[in-house]
Amino acid sequence: MLGVEDFINETIEDIRSKITGKAIIACSGGVDSMVAATLTSKAIGDRLLAVYVDNGLMRKGETEEVEGMLRDMGINYKIADAGAEFFEALKGVTDPEQKRKIIGEKFIRVFERTAKDFGAEFLVQGTIAPDWIESGDGVRDTIKSHHNVGGLPKDMGMTLVEPLRDLYKDEVRDVARNLGVKASERQPFPGPALAVRCLGEVTPENIAIVREACFIVEDEIRKAAGAGEMEMPWQYFAVLLPSKSVGVQGDRRAYGRTIAIRAVASVDGMTATYAKIPLEVLDRMSTRITNSMKDSVNRVVFDITNKPPATIEWE
Amino acid sequence: MKVYVVDNGGQWTHREWRVLRYLKVDTKIVPNTTPFDEIKDIDGLILSGGAPNVACDAARMGNNGEYLDKAEYPIFGICAGMQFLCEHFGGTLGPGTMPEFGGVELKVKSHDDLFKGLPDTFGVWASHNDEVKTIPEGFEVTAYSDSCPHEAVRCKDRPIYGVQFHPEVENTEHGAEIFQNFLDIIKEQRC
Repeated sequence: MLGVEDFINETIEDIRSKITGKAIIACSGGVDSMVAATLTSKAIGDRLLAVYVDNGLMRKGETEEVEGMLRDMGINYKIADAGAEFFEALKGVTDPEQKRKIIGEKFIRVFERTAKDFGAEFLVQGTIAPDWIESGDGVRDTIKSHHNVGGLPKDMGMTLVEPLRDLYKDEVRDVARNLGVKASERQPFPGPALAVRCLGEVTPENIAIVREACFIVEDEIRKAAGAGEMEMPWQYFAVLLPSKSVGVQGDRRAYGRTIAIRAVASVDGMTATYAKIPLEVLDRMSTRITNSMKDSVNRVVFDITNKPPATIEWE
Repeated sequence: MKVYVVDNGGQWTHREWRVLRYLKVDTKIVPNTTPFDEIKDIDGLILSGGAPNVACDAARMGNNGEYLDKAEYPIFGICAGMQFLCEHFGGTLGPGTMPEFGGVELKVKSHDDLFKGLPDTFGVWASHNDEVKTIPEGFEVTAYSDSCPHEAVRCKDRPIYGVQFHPEVENTEHGAEIFQNFLDIIKEQRC
């Protein structure tokens, strides 16, 4: 990125002039929100509270990992446990846009409560360019409503501050490395979390299936890249499809769910090519998923679509 | 040098702004409803792509026609921007015989301006449903692909250029060089 240090200094100044009182920052633990948190903390110090929402839709071990990062940063933070609330609101919902809007609103309601307790009037978000571009506006089509833009309720009672609006992921990573932010190399993870990797209804059971499959995909790819078998993709995960298919397991008929493996190469998330994962690595993922998850999954497919015409996530 | 980007609602309008910034140009994204008078003193203009079906949704293309009629500085239309300028000067548009999403092999016919110093064929990325069916009188085709006969055009007697593909995205090879060639055209125009 051009002029990383100038960007950092100007942004800290800008945040300092905008945030006159206390602020909370929506912190998922991803590189965008962790960079925004670091810049804001440099600007206003103890007047900032970082809020991580455990919405019940996060990956295996994620809440503990993010709490560890927040603790190490030495800033004020709060972990809000809201899983039951999110599942309740998502009951029976299958439309991807509706899911995103419900999740966006739920996030804001949690933030509003936390802000009230802390006495904050400002909400800082790590929104980056693709979030508002894809959310659409007066002139742009809505590709998908990012929870932090298109999913914001109209009656939100806080002033938004979004210091990274003009940056793309590769630029945020440059800023993160310069600031020594620990999350600098974490792969992108969508705000609506595993809910948009679970096609069809979001239930605790479905989320448990996709969570385990995501863990296996991440684990096998990390190992393969570590062993020099492949390069790390930009983003890589599993998607639970809403269809069932017939299989045979130990001479018995099976009728189970399908997992799609998605992995892409990209720089900025605005265009992407599917990752050319070696067949041996795909084979290990497929066998491990279907063996260890035999009660729910009996078929694995690999997504070979670029963006455009697909998007990176399925919803 | 001031080169602005007219926002026709493209997914990659902001990428065009980013590429120009990286080329150290004074740049800004402006709505396509901006009156020409407010941008008459700049040095060059990009007409971005966008979701409108240019032939049917002319209203969503704002003041692009006014810029094309009044500006003396170079203008570069991308995707819907190229489709609009071709129709504006008398060309015709229609649904692509083969829509292009993602990678396309570009075949360059003229290396005089936008493709100066670039190979005869290279990979570019496109994303369009419609295409230019016939180009306006006084225009010529400077690049094509197997699936789209009009990938790039230029006006013979004014500095007006168009490309159907997207030079601003990461996956297009030589994209920044195409923008730099446009900036070089602006420089020549100024002296």
